[in-house]
Amino acid sequence: MSSPRPLDFLTTGAWIVLALAVLSSAAYLAWPVPSRPGRQFWLFSPPNEQHYRAALGRWNAAQPNPADHANLTLIHFQALERRLVAAFTVDAPVADLVETESLMMARAFGAPLADIGFVDLTDRLRAEGLFDRINAPSFSVWTTRGRTFALPHDVHPCLLAYRADLVEAAGIDVSTIETWDDFRRVLGPLIRDLDGDGRPDRYLLNFWETNRDLVTVLLRQAGAQFFDADQRLELDTARNAHVLASLVSWIAGPGRFCVDAPEFTAGGDAMRLDGTVLCSILPDWQAGTWKNYLPGLGGKVKLMRLPAWEPGGRRTSVWGGTSLGITKAAPDFERSWALAKYLYLSPQVAESLFRATSIISPVKELWTLPFYHEPDPYFSGQKVGALYIAEAPHVPERRSSPHAAFVMDRMVTVLSALKARAVAQGQFDAPALLPEARRLLALAQRDLSVRIDRNVLAGSAP
Amino acid sequence: MKPAPPHPRWAPWFFVAPFLVLFGVFTLWPLAQSLVLALQQTFGPKLTVFVGLGNFEFLLRDPLFWHAVRNTALYTLGAVAIQLPGALGLALLLNRPGLRGRACFRLIFFAPSLVGLVFVGVMFTLLFQKHTGLINAGLHTLWRGWDPEFAWLDQHVMPSLIVASVWLYAGFNMIYFLAALQNVNRELLDAASIDGAGPWARFRHIVLPEIRPVAGFVVLLSVIGSFQLFELPWVLLNNSAGPDDRGLTIVMYLYQTGFLTGDLGYASAIGWVLGLLLAGVALVQTRLARAEEN
Repeated sequence: MSSPRPLDFLTTGAWIVLALAVLSSAAYLAWPVPSRPGRQFWLFSPPNEQHYRAALGRWNAAQPNPADHANLTLIHFQALERRLVAAFTVDAPVADLVETESLMMARAFGAPLADIGFVDLTDRLRAEGLFDRINAPSFSVWTTRGRTFALPHDVHPCLLAYRADLVEAAGIDVSTIETWDDFRRVLGPLIRDLDGDGRPDRYLLNFWETNRDLVTVLLRQAGAQFFDADQRLELDTARNAHVLASLVSWIAGPGRFCVDAPEFTAGGDAMRLDGTVLCSILPDWQAGTWKNYLPGLGGKVKLMRLPAWEPGGRRTSVWGGTSLGITKAAPDFERSWALAKYLYLSPQVAESLFRATSIISPVKELWTLPFYHEPDPYFSGQKVGALYIAEAPHVPERRSSPHAAFVMDRMVTVLSALKARAVAQGQFDAPALLPEARRLLALAQRDLSVRIDRNVLAGSAP
Repeated sequence: MKPAPPHPRWAPWFFVAPFLVLFGVFTLWPLAQSLVLALQQTFGPKLTVFVGLGNFEFLLRDPLFWHAVRNTALYTLGAVAIQLPGALGLALLLNRPGLRGRACFRLIFFAPSLVGLVFVGVMFTLLFQKHTGLINAGLHTLWRGWDPEFAWLDQHVMPSLIVASVWLYAGFNMIYFLAALQNVNRELLDAASIDGAGPWARFRHIVLPEIRPVAGFVVLLSVIGSFQLFELPWVLLNNSAGPDDRGLTIVMYLYQTGFLTGDLGYASAIGWVLGLLLAGVALVQTRLARAEEN
């Protein structure tokens, strides 16, 4: 009996499967990966992408060498965040320039300074005088351990948008409002039960304890930093307790004047349109969003400075933030830097940005340009750019930390617990809630400190 | 007839090799890696330091982990105690002889499980909204005393999740129960009817014992699925664990730890504990089923 040949047992079908496997593998391996010459630029903001397209068209037309062209790729916020984490932790491919959001950058700051995936721009910014030309608070959130890793895109000061049609029809003059107490007192009569069911159908302000962004905006307005200069937690302070206790009286009890009308939801927008909520804290970028997505409010709303926490206090806050970082993977830093400066410092791009999104540039020398001082029919003829610019130098500075998101979450939890306690005891007076607020803040600080200090590798490594 | 050529001794290995390679690369190797990771503290995969059983020690006294375990257990209890009886009830209704439009009803009840979890999360986010959500607005219209600001997704996260999961999975589990019911011995049911057994007696003494193996399987699947809960609350609560971490589940905590804070070591420890928990549940269920058979 002859011995079997090694592959005799393979049937025709098996051969076909094997051939298909080999062919498809070969095709996959041989498939050319499309390469795009020039600088790769990733961003997450659709409005920014739209206006950059035109700006980069002009840039590319002026570059004779295709290697200097810029290619724009819009990536969803969370996908971009994941991609950056992959790039900075396992060296996955990444673009030359990346437009990041503040919490996204904060995560990158978790690594020791030398391992942060963006190029340290501090010396370059200093050498070119950009620390003087750009609004100082705008750098804070892109800076860690004294080093700055991105060029700020914006300032994002906050104003208060109010339904001028309803407020002025009631004969109310908002110029008499200086503090949040004034706000409650002056606008309070507008809280109404319109359908006779015993519940108010009109509230003064869009705010709720579950809205992490707004809780943070109001805490920052009062001067909360959450971290000290050495990156140690700083939650249990008299200022934070005062703000949180006051916020409880805004959302619960007989003095309640806030309602939950979340941003970017159909329900929240319906409440803004039908007048269930009269006022909203509005950063410049959201003014642009309103103009694009809430045309029904056109001509009915106006902007005013935020009421302060105390007489003479800060009349603005800050919400959000975007910047442009150059990754260490970028082969030619100088070309990427030139592109970054073109996008962020040129008057033409600043104008198209403002017209498309209402976002003001952080570059101080551009603030006198005429387009920032044009009346805006949407905001009842107010000069929206000028109003935001007036607040820009006063926006609070923010200390960046990889733990920022968790800290902000915890502040929401503290506010939630404080409200629950107030409701249970029927005690909504802010001063009476202060001791409980301090106790909850101390508890949160202790618990978060254990959690943060546990990981010796993250956070403040040199 | 020409005899088939004899196979060389390595032929079986040749055929199972693709599976072995994939299983080794994508299951065994990551499993071994995750065990190593669970003994390390990390910031991303590049920065690591060996901490022995430190992650497990911290986990045992981590209030957030136990909060996640409590939430997950609560959801599992709700899902099993409400969803499965609901699924069985639907199956019993559809199994009634002479029911017209059975196929249509089956499709209607099964249809929710054809859509993805993310879609369900988005849809229920809208349904549960204050003021404008269909549930609050509808209840307020029907009964003026209903608070249109009822905070489903703030104060009542777990009940909201259970409602959404019942809508999603009751029809799916109904199919298992329906298949089991259609295999119940008709002769036994007829004999019991002749002997004067009522519907409840027939259900309790004939139907239930007959469908018990399938019911046990469905319970086990539901428990395992519930312990892996992640996407539904993540979408429903807008990419977070909700206020006061009321929607935090074990897998969500694992995700937050590993992918948001970069502590893959601690996340691996959570994963191993979750695996052990599920193995324990499966073991208990198998023991119970075996004891039942004996």
